[in-house]
Amino acid sequence: MSTDDRFAKQRIADDLEEPVQEAGKLARRLGLTPYPVNYWVVDYDEMNELIAYGGFQQRYPHWRWGMQYDRQQKQGQFLGGKAFEIVNNDDPSHAFLQESNTLADQKAVITHVEAHADFFANNKWFKMFSDGAPRSADGEGRDRGPDAAGMLARHADAIREYMQDPEIERGAVERFVDHVLCLEDNIDQHQPYSPVETAEEHFEDIEGVDVTEQLDELDLSEEVRRQVFDDEWLDAQDDDGEGVSFPAEPDKDVLGFLRKHGMAYDEDAGKAVEMTDWQKDVLEMLRREAYYFAPQKMTKVMNEGWAAYWESLMMTGERFAGDDEFVLYADHMAQVLGSPGLNPYKLGMEIWEYVENTENRREVVERLLRVDGVTWRTFGDVVDFTEVQEHLEPPAWLRDVAGHLDELDPEDPRVDAEGLEAARDGEFDVDRYPWKVLTYEGLAQRHYSLLKPQYRGFVSRVGQEGLERVSRYMFDDARYDSIEEALADVEYTRGWERMREIRESHNDVTFLDEFLTQEFVDDNDYFTYEYTHASGDYRVTSTDHADVKKKLMLNFTNFGKPTVVVEDGNYQNRNELLLTHQYNGVMLDRSQATAVLKRVFELWGRPVNLLTITKEFDDHDIEVAKRRDREPEPEEVGKRLRYDGDEVTIEDVPWSDVEHLAATDIDYNTKPDEWLA
Amino acid sequence: MGLKDDLERYREVGEDRRQDLAEFIQYGDLGQSRGDEVRIPIKIVDLPEFAYDQRDKGGVGQGDGAEPGDPVGQPQPQPGDDGDEDGDPGEEGGEHEYYEMDPEEFAKELDEQLGLDLEPKGKKVIEEKEGDFTDITRTGPSSTLDFERLFKKGLKRKLAMDFDEDYVREALKVDGWGPATVFEWARGKNIPVSKAWIEDAYEDVPSSERGAWDTIEEMEANVEEEDAPTRIRREGVDEIPFRREDERYRYPEIVEEREKNVVVVNIRDVSGSMRQKKRELVERTFTPLDWYLQGKYDNAEFVYIAHDADAWEVEREEFFGIRSGGGTRISSAYELAAQRLEAEYPWSEWNRYVFAAGDSENSSNDTEEKVIPLMEQIPANLHAYVETQPSGNAINATHAEEVERTFRDSDNVAVAYVSSPGDVVEAIYEILSTEDNG
Repeated sequence: MSTDDRFAKQRIADDLEEPVQEAGKLARRLGLTPYPVNYWVVDYDEMNELIAYGGFQQRYPHWRWGMQYDRQQKQGQFLGGKAFEIVNNDDPSHAFLQESNTLADQKAVITHVEAHADFFANNKWFKMFSDGAPRSADGEGRDRGPDAAGMLARHADAIREYMQDPEIERGAVERFVDHVLCLEDNIDQHQPYSPVETAEEHFEDIEGVDVTEQLDELDLSEEVRRQVFDDEWLDAQDDDGEGVSFPAEPDKDVLGFLRKHGMAYDEDAGKAVEMTDWQKDVLEMLRREAYYFAPQKMTKVMNEGWAAYWESLMMTGERFAGDDEFVLYADHMAQVLGSPGLNPYKLGMEIWEYVENTENRREVVERLLRVDGVTWRTFGDVVDFTEVQEHLEPPAWLRDVAGHLDELDPEDPRVDAEGLEAARDGEFDVDRYPWKVLTYEGLAQRHYSLLKPQYRGFVSRVGQEGLERVSRYMFDDARYDSIEEALADVEYTRGWERMREIRESHNDVTFLDEFLTQEFVDDNDYFTYEYTHASGDYRVTSTDHADVKKKLMLNFTNFGKPTVVVEDGNYQNRNELLLTHQYNGVMLDRSQATAVLKRVFELWGRPVNLLTITKEFDDHDIEVAKRRDREPEPEEVGKRLRYDGDEVTIEDVPWSDVEHLAATDIDYNTKPDEWLA
Repeated sequence: MGLKDDLERYREVGEDRRQDLAEFIQYGDLGQSRGDEVRIPIKIVDLPEFAYDQRDKGGVGQGDGAEPGDPVGQPQPQPGDDGDEDGDPGEEGGEHEYYEMDPEEFAKELDEQLGLDLEPKGKKVIEEKEGDFTDITRTGPSSTLDFERLFKKGLKRKLAMDFDEDYVREALKVDGWGPATVFEWARGKNIPVSKAWIEDAYEDVPSSERGAWDTIEEMEANVEEEDAPTRIRREGVDEIPFRREDERYRYPEIVEEREKNVVVVNIRDVSGSMRQKKRELVERTFTPLDWYLQGKYDNAEFVYIAHDADAWEVEREEFFGIRSGGGTRISSAYELAAQRLEAEYPWSEWNRYVFAAGDSENSSNDTEEKVIPLMEQIPANLHAYVETQPSGNAINATHAEEVERTFRDSDNVAVAYVSSPGDVVEAIYEILSTEDNG
């Protein structure tokens, strides 16, 4: 980097110092608890490189980063490469700001990043990953999050060293990395990461010999023996002379299983040999990275929505963008949310707002139902919603802090006494930072969602059913004499608290499952589509929320990929691997599956099999369907794909072989019944 | 920087995975390419993974007032589709990847795959370019003076003229020897000394030293003659005798640069019998030929002639799509071609390729009476006729056969038959390998 560049970056960094500090403070005052964030100013090329590397500075050598870089560059030519944000799930987090962004963009990115850092620090799926070492507490006794940049850099070094090792062929390492990457989503993302231990491996290795005898030799106490090696385990090891069948339960962590039991095929010897040390090491490193990135894939909608929500609140609600920057920001936001298709920012932010509104409404409804004379039956008739809105309206000083600075009461729980004093002493500009005078409670009321123009009718739209459900769990149902009295007790923080609870425990699947309602689907004009054989193209099939949800879930469950597990590592007692596809009604892409199977062979060293179910259509049925404009009924058939290192064979298997794979309670097909022939 | 390597490796991987050239020509999507840039789809760029069957999966879209049964066009990008770690808004899903090559690379690849070695001929002299400065003259601007040569000559001269002055002086001290005797002696010993020098030196020998040696034998026994190179090495060269006659000036060689020009005339039958399938086959055959020749020559120009019973010139964009009614008279196209070539692409300056395609149907006697004489009359590197007949031979479709029969022994007329995309590469080979390379 030239000196000029460095100065330019330094200047930008100086300008950003205040926004960075203040955004961090504001985020915390709004109830977020982000990891500390280190910000870096980078230029356009560096940004592209970071994006190509998945947000990090050092990754192992691989052509895929080159591909992403190439795409990124081509895309940048069209989009002008504006306002990208990168923040890493790291403690402290590292975020990168592109130097060419406007100040408004930088501020938007910073507020966005703070919210992501909060999500990383608090969502339970992120907490499941540690790089294998025990998590250390920092000085304040806080659990330290991951050191991902360090881990990825170590992996990069190690893999590069293997590639440069004169004893190892570089191409062999590259191919091996490719094989493993084909399975990067085939891990058990709902389990915490734990490295495959050598000791465990050792025990697993003794399969096939008489385990009981070996245990006797170990001379363990009877107690240990009973606890660790119970009869069930022993039986599993010694399956009535049929040879050992393992794992006991289907294993979703295919990479882990291959790390434990996989072998390499030795071309010259014509047989499977043990993996070399570098192979084991590379496999485990890539598996670790897969586990590290899994939570981000599992929470994309939530996480992006969360960041967009808080960004919007800070930038617009708290005027973190200056007046002159505001238009630019609004433009930027419209662009992000307005990009075509189903975009996670928009979907996520809308659901978060929906969560906030419903919780706030629930609070209001609960208060109202406690008013004398208001029941779920009479609710709509008795309650005057205009009056409700008026009572919820915050005092004028909460809306316009700077204009009422003299009237503020330091004793009010919504007022930050210290901040107030500092403001009155002129230590900061209240016009710019009104929130410094307010507490969390004050801010919650200031940004109360039900008062926003677009949500003013939200309370009145509560359905009978919802009211009944709320009232069913209420006891002291006559505490208030008037609506005014009831609403004076409203807790304005309830919406945010509920949001924080959800951001801790949910992932995209549960998030969508729980909050994607008919109301939401209708409001956003979602529909499902399917390929129809009658017309030979894709057609809208449904606008019903249950259908939309079903289809959406398909995109989010298990990374939007079919679930494939290890069912048997000693298939047909021939040391072959049996993978099974847990069929949910949607077929596998067979050509890709075949290609993956060939890769798996390289990691298993012996023949590999995949059991799956496919749908077959009778040609005649399709003809008839086309004529009658009806959809043909497919026949579901069990198939076994097998690759023995030489050729792929695909054969039909009896239904009984695959029956256990077919889920009967899920149906992702959204075609209307009357379409079916 | 590691990413540079990664990018490099990606390009290599892309190269490995792009569609096999022959497969691309026969079945690939030619429409993504432009005249100056051939775009070959890359089969699968990313690694395979266990994924859902795209059709069976369906999806979710967003739009106002969608009703079941409405077509949705191509599937919209789905959230989570890209599988990237970071979510970039507005990312386009499912794009195709292309390997881009220019026509030169295309031609090279095709040469390799088909084992062709078409050597383009230079035709028109575009300039007399100055080649390397390898010629020499005795006069010229001082900047082109070959000083190295001058110096070497001078040095040689110096060596030739140099002698051991002290040695000769000693000879002058021999008792009774005068300049004339010494000169005689020096000549006998091949010492390149002039009489004048000896006379001058004799004057300078102090009288006390004259007769220092009794005899020349005594002098020769006591004084050793030092040869010129040793002396120069010891004393250095104080002066190199540069002579005007040694001066040489370098002069550039004149090279005749011939530009490799090519004009390709594409002729296509657009009459009623040329249905969709036939048209496509023509496009599949002609397009790679065009690319190939464009890649081979410095300057390629194309003339597109459509004909039914009459011929007219069209733009490339329209060429493959036109369909008219009417009969067929192939000679009309050759007449137009001859006219165009004569007017703008003289044979002395241009390589010419005349490619015609159709379903071999022609009006009676036209082939024999007009087309064949025209083909003979139009000088060209190569004439070719491509018969596209998806359903095998039709009655009366004899143009190709007649042409083939007539020109059987000719090395600049090719006839190829294409009845399905699978024949295209064969046809291209047939055509390009026919050209007389003598």
